[in-house]
Amino acid sequence: MDKALENYLDQVDRHLRHLPASDRADIIQEIRSGMLELAAAGQDAAQICQRLGDPKELAAAYLGEAIAKSPGFSWSRLGSVMAFCGLAGLSWMFVLPFTSVLAVGLMFSGAVTPLAGVVQFVLSLMGISVPYVMFQIGSYTAPPAVAFPLSIAVGALLFLAGRWLWQLTVRLVQIVGQQYQKLSAQ
Amino acid sequence: MRVEEWRSQSKRGTLELCILLMIEKRERYGYELISELEKRPVLAAKESTIYPLLRRLLGEGLLSSCWRESAEGLPPRKYYSLTNTGRAYLQTISAVWEDLSAAIQEIKEA
Repeated sequence: MDKALENYLDQVDRHLRHLPASDRADIIQEIRSGMLELAAAGQDAAQICQRLGDPKELAAAYLGEAIAKSPGFSWSRLGSVMAFCGLAGLSWMFVLPFTSVLAVGLMFSGAVTPLAGVVQFVLSLMGISVPYVMFQIGSYTAPPAVAFPLSIAVGALLFLAGRWLWQLTVRLVQIVGQQYQKLSAQ
Repeated sequence: MRVEEWRSQSKRGTLELCILLMIEKRERYGYELISELEKRPVLAAKESTIYPLLRRLLGEGLLSSCWRESAEGLPPRKYYSLTNTGRAYLQTISAVWEDLSAAIQEIKEA
């Protein structure tokens, strides 16, 4: 295969590095197949590259679809969101990492808070007081019996806030993706 | 500009319908779908639209795919076919499309 085409595929592959390896290999193989069909139809490497467009845009289209596919969270999808931001352009580079990282932080806090509540509750039952684990809002420190249910409630709220922010991030990616397609269609 | 925007918006949903309709007839590969669409300028779409779209439909379980060797001198091709879910989905959106065009026709003639 022509060097220019291999180079093109390498570039797309690099931008897709946050997708699972098997998905990436399949995507590249399909683009390669399409290139060879075009070559068999008589187009040269330069014409083929021009037809497929900027490798960054092609990769962004895949990432946009992969992120938009489902609103669920996973680490690999966080990677995809980050990669997509890089490709979508400067104006979005700030907002999307901000919302996605904050979402992850909130979900993490939401999981840790009840855990700390459980630890403190169990230890206080055993008569041990741990100075580092306590439920404190301003100058008010909740006694262990109150802190336990409180930590679960607060943890749930934090987690829900994080999940909502993550869904917002996915929605934003869909909107940016559509704008992006509109721009590249012109 | 205004027309272009409207065109690209209406194309987004219809492209999915057209692709599913083509795959319903027989299994198809990406390049074939793109060439087929290109015969109708109003539907023409680039690789960067069709391949990711096919991948999304695959991920949503509406399509299934399989790689096949092809004739001498041509590359292996990734063929797509409808799953049962895909077939049911296509029937539903085709019906919506029929309703839509019937309604437009009705308004024009009213």
